[in-house]
Amino acid sequence: MSIFSPLVLHQPASISEAVALLAAGGRDCAPLAGGTWIMRAPIRHEAPPPVFVSLSKISALSAIAISEERVELGAAVTHAALAEAVAGYPDLQVLAEAAGRSANPAIRATATIGGNLCTTSFPAADLLPALLSLDAEVDLARSQGRERLSLEVFLERRAALVPGWLLTRVVVPREAGRSAHARLPLRKAGDYPVAIVSVAIRLCERDRVTKACVAIGAVETVARRWRSLEAVLLGEPVDPERAGAAAERLLYEITGREGIEAPGWYRVHVLPSLVRRAMAGIAESLSSGNSRPCRSP
Amino acid sequence: MPLALTVNGEVRLSNAGPMTPLLDILREEFQLTGAKPVCREGFCGACMVLRDGRPILSCLTPAGLVEGSDICTIEGLSPGGTLTPLQDALESHDAVQCGMCFPGMVITLTHALRRTHDLTDAEVRQALVGNICRCTGYERIVAAALAIAAAHGPEAARDG
Repeated sequence: MSIFSPLVLHQPASISEAVALLAAGGRDCAPLAGGTWIMRAPIRHEAPPPVFVSLSKISALSAIAISEERVELGAAVTHAALAEAVAGYPDLQVLAEAAGRSANPAIRATATIGGNLCTTSFPAADLLPALLSLDAEVDLARSQGRERLSLEVFLERRAALVPGWLLTRVVVPREAGRSAHARLPLRKAGDYPVAIVSVAIRLCERDRVTKACVAIGAVETVARRWRSLEAVLLGEPVDPERAGAAAERLLYEITGREGIEAPGWYRVHVLPSLVRRAMAGIAESLSSGNSRPCRSP
Repeated sequence: MPLALTVNGEVRLSNAGPMTPLLDILREEFQLTGAKPVCREGFCGACMVLRDGRPILSCLTPAGLVEGSDICTIEGLSPGGTLTPLQDALESHDAVQCGMCFPGMVITLTHALRRTHDLTDAEVRQALVGNICRCTGYERIVAAALAIAAAHGPEAARDG
């Protein structure tokens, strides 16, 4: 086997140039962000498209802007940069944990948020449930224009999107008071998680939950919200044991994905524990320091 | 047009395509075989090199993306055969092991010691999460890193 890859790599300097290249390339062309999934195509016995459009020279795609109202993340922001930027904000804790604990340090320094969201065949992405729990939206660019979709809608449509679009930005509204991310790798670190639970909540003055968003990842083929559990958490105080018990009763709704590292039943079986852990993380965050939901570190 | 890569301070040309993994060019074209192809999945860390001082997985890095960067391989860490303080400490702790995972471990720890002067045991272990040893273990490697952090402080950290 020749080591000389025949694949073409474009390195445009702007989003407009990138989407023009993607549109021209059609199905023979794909965006390349960190490359940590694409470069493993030979191991998965997949034939990569012949042309790639690198995003690494487009500085706008690495921008991070955090305001009181929202967080805006360029699609090529790495997990490491994201974890560093959102560290210390109680409402964004779910994102800090998801970005800061996934894979290993060298992967986190390379793999991007856009890559994590666009890799349809990767079920154990940490950022998906984390961003779902925060009601994130994504901006798509194509040569004919732009559009903003909720992350949930994007996940439904992403496999069917026509060639030529580029995910450029992720927008996270800062509506949660507290959040937490609970993941179970088989080793302490460095593995893909077998199951993930991300929780974001808002509390009223009397410390009752007024908004709850729960998302699960790695369990099914695509991460999703767990709305029946969210409904149970509403109007109640943050109670890890009660939340875990409620999750236990709702497990029949979930069918676990079979995989080499864990069978489907196991992924489902550990969910109540992860719900408890995530809620305990939120309870701890509430009891340490400021007990009121706050938006700054 | 050939790729122009700066490796261990020297500009070298490669005729490989830009999507070729950097690792393959280093090993097959430049005969720099210190970085190892082991898992090729980014889990094991045996292929690590420094890009502008930061560890990257050369198996997952398209060579076309690192034109204009300074690549330092394990061979480039000790020019003229002079070991860095970290390499000295690893040798004196008898932590050299079999050589498969080890170059990657040295690359990771070189960066970790440059970044933080006083590494804790937990920080050393966290830094090494992506460097897998499958035969011997980590204890002497961690001990050597802690010794160099403690003994040389900022000075050793700067020299790597």
